[in-house]
Amino acid sequence: MKLTIGHLYPDLLNLYGDRGNIQCLMKRCQWRGIEAETIAFESNDRVDFSGLDIVLLGGGSDREQMLVCEKLKEIRDDFKSYVESDGVVIAICGGYQLLGKYYKTDQGTITGLELVDMYTEQGEGRLIHNIVLKSELFDMPIVGFENHGGRTCIQNNKPLGKVLTGAGNDETSGYEGVVYRNVIGTYLHGPLLPKNPQLADWLILRALKKKYGEEVELTDLDDTQEKEANDYIYKRFVK
Amino acid sequence: MKIRRIAAVWAAKTAGFVCKKMGRQGVTWAGKIALKIYPPILKELAAEVRKDIFAVCGTNGKTTTNNMLCAALEAEGQKVICNHTGSNMLNGVVAAFVLGAKLNGHMDADYACIEADEASTKYIFPQISPDYMVLTNLFRDQLDRYGEIDITMNILETMIRSVPEMKVIVNGDDALSAYLAMDSGNPCVFYGISRPVMKNETNEIREGRFCKKCGARLEYSFYHYSQLGDYSCPQCGFKRPLPDYDAEDVQVGDRLSFRVENRLISANYKGFYNVYNILAAYAGVRTAGFQAEHFTDMLKKFNPENGRMEQFRIQGTGILLNLAKNPAGFNQNISAVMQDPSPKDVIIAINDNAQDGIDISWLWDVDFDRFGEESIRSITVSGIRCQDMRLRLKYVDIPSILEPDVEKAIRDRIKDGTGNLYVLVNYTALFSTRSILKKLEGEQK
Repeated sequence: MKLTIGHLYPDLLNLYGDRGNIQCLMKRCQWRGIEAETIAFESNDRVDFSGLDIVLLGGGSDREQMLVCEKLKEIRDDFKSYVESDGVVIAICGGYQLLGKYYKTDQGTITGLELVDMYTEQGEGRLIHNIVLKSELFDMPIVGFENHGGRTCIQNNKPLGKVLTGAGNDETSGYEGVVYRNVIGTYLHGPLLPKNPQLADWLILRALKKKYGEEVELTDLDDTQEKEANDYIYKRFVK
Repeated sequence: MKIRRIAAVWAAKTAGFVCKKMGRQGVTWAGKIALKIYPPILKELAAEVRKDIFAVCGTNGKTTTNNMLCAALEAEGQKVICNHTGSNMLNGVVAAFVLGAKLNGHMDADYACIEADEASTKYIFPQISPDYMVLTNLFRDQLDRYGEIDITMNILETMIRSVPEMKVIVNGDDALSAYLAMDSGNPCVFYGISRPVMKNETNEIREGRFCKKCGARLEYSFYHYSQLGDYSCPQCGFKRPLPDYDAEDVQVGDRLSFRVENRLISANYKGFYNVYNILAAYAGVRTAGFQAEHFTDMLKKFNPENGRMEQFRIQGTGILLNLAKNPAGFNQNISAVMQDPSPKDVIIAINDNAQDGIDISWLWDVDFDRFGEESIRSITVSGIRCQDMRLRLKYVDIPSILEPDVEKAIRDRIKDGTGNLYVLVNYTALFSTRSILKKLEGEQK
């Protein structure tokens, strides 16, 4: 089996250790004997979604998101059909905001990909915290770090998790992130995946099932170190 | 008013003395007290500096450059005020002045060398109005505190423009710093390294790949490290300025050497990045009008004892302590460690206190895979976020020993290690680790 990960625009969206998320997906495939490859699409490259099994859209500064916004227009239709045919996407921070209709800032409005019915507006001050979520998808808590000025409204979509500590989507709803088909959008970096191996495996398994059929299963890995690192954050900030 | 100023100086000196007695690093406390008693104290004391004031800014190399510049000016016979310890926010800067003032409340200094935290420049610059600013580089650092590197650049540009006569002595190899300096309209002096020195095949994160002037992708003929190198913009013509102080024949090994203005400069340091620190200090003292004849002698004796590449020898183990607090700095540290081909042990201590940045995502932007070589006999992870550090290494298939207690980690490796130990720590771990090493050094006497 083989998975191909598409990393979109790392030349523009590369804040906060996105490399760690790629590294984590690659290693967790390779440790199981699944071949894994990452293709980085820079802002001048053409993105061919047909060869991709997981798409990672990372975080960038507001200025860089403005630049990225232009590029997104070109791929919006292809990206939309990828998502609607259950393609796997992990979108983080700036990338999460771009999933929606728009991100309104005091510098202007960034048009999003409109992949998920949601929108973001800049609020008063940045939300900068360690953050812990409880998600229905996993028994381990999701831990990470948030640093965003935007407040995201996910309308009637399902959130990724309930906020146990931290701000989340908009400080008030008590929820964080979004799950739509095989798309996960979230403000959490830290980076997100290494300390949340169940989330990483969710993405890998969804991609494998889509490519090789529903009967695919993942072999267990020794996640002692991942669990201890996750548990440290949980105990320090929640319990 | 005069009385209050003297009172402020006395109170601060007392506080400074008490702090020292209690073994606390906190000179900032002295600054805070002085400001409380007499708010205009910094402005008034700064105005009494007889000649010029230097401000040293930039992500990496501030403390080393500032201390070196201070030592270089002292070597020219000048009396200098300096925030040696790297306390670089407003209170730390105030402390440097009040603790350096005479008991009558007046200054007796020819120069001041002030390291200033980028975000704090807005409080510091209006008070001290620097005559020169040294800008070392801009890398991603503490994104949780500054938000984004763009925000830091905006603050710095505003502050540079607020002192229009201030001459900016800037690292021309960094497109971000050079752009800031040129765009400000202030007079500029550039330093840099015009030829490639090290092979640079790493997969480092590079800031500012796009032209700040027009947004096009910058083209590089080579990189020194991170985004430092020889760049030009194919669209608008923005390019690396020709340096006024150019380091040539750069040799990096167990020690550093290079030529500038046909002078041979050599120092007993490791780490390529120190060429920039030395060059910045040299450019500073030359720009201030000195011939810098004593510069090389000063370097020979220069020992800031502040945990930057500081050497210890404990029970037969040679220990090198260094600060590594962001990806660019850490990658340079790894280069320096790997230049030593002999077997070695490494301890990495990572804290996430406010001064470190509470977000430790940056660990994943460091090229730790370069530690996966045979000469690295063990890596011990320590500090508050040792769990994260252990996981970071796991994902480049490097096993590590977990020991949250830094002192125990050091004692263990002295006992069972190769006799060649590198201790790399981030900001708040630096002072405590240095105290531990000093203590262990004392125990054997």
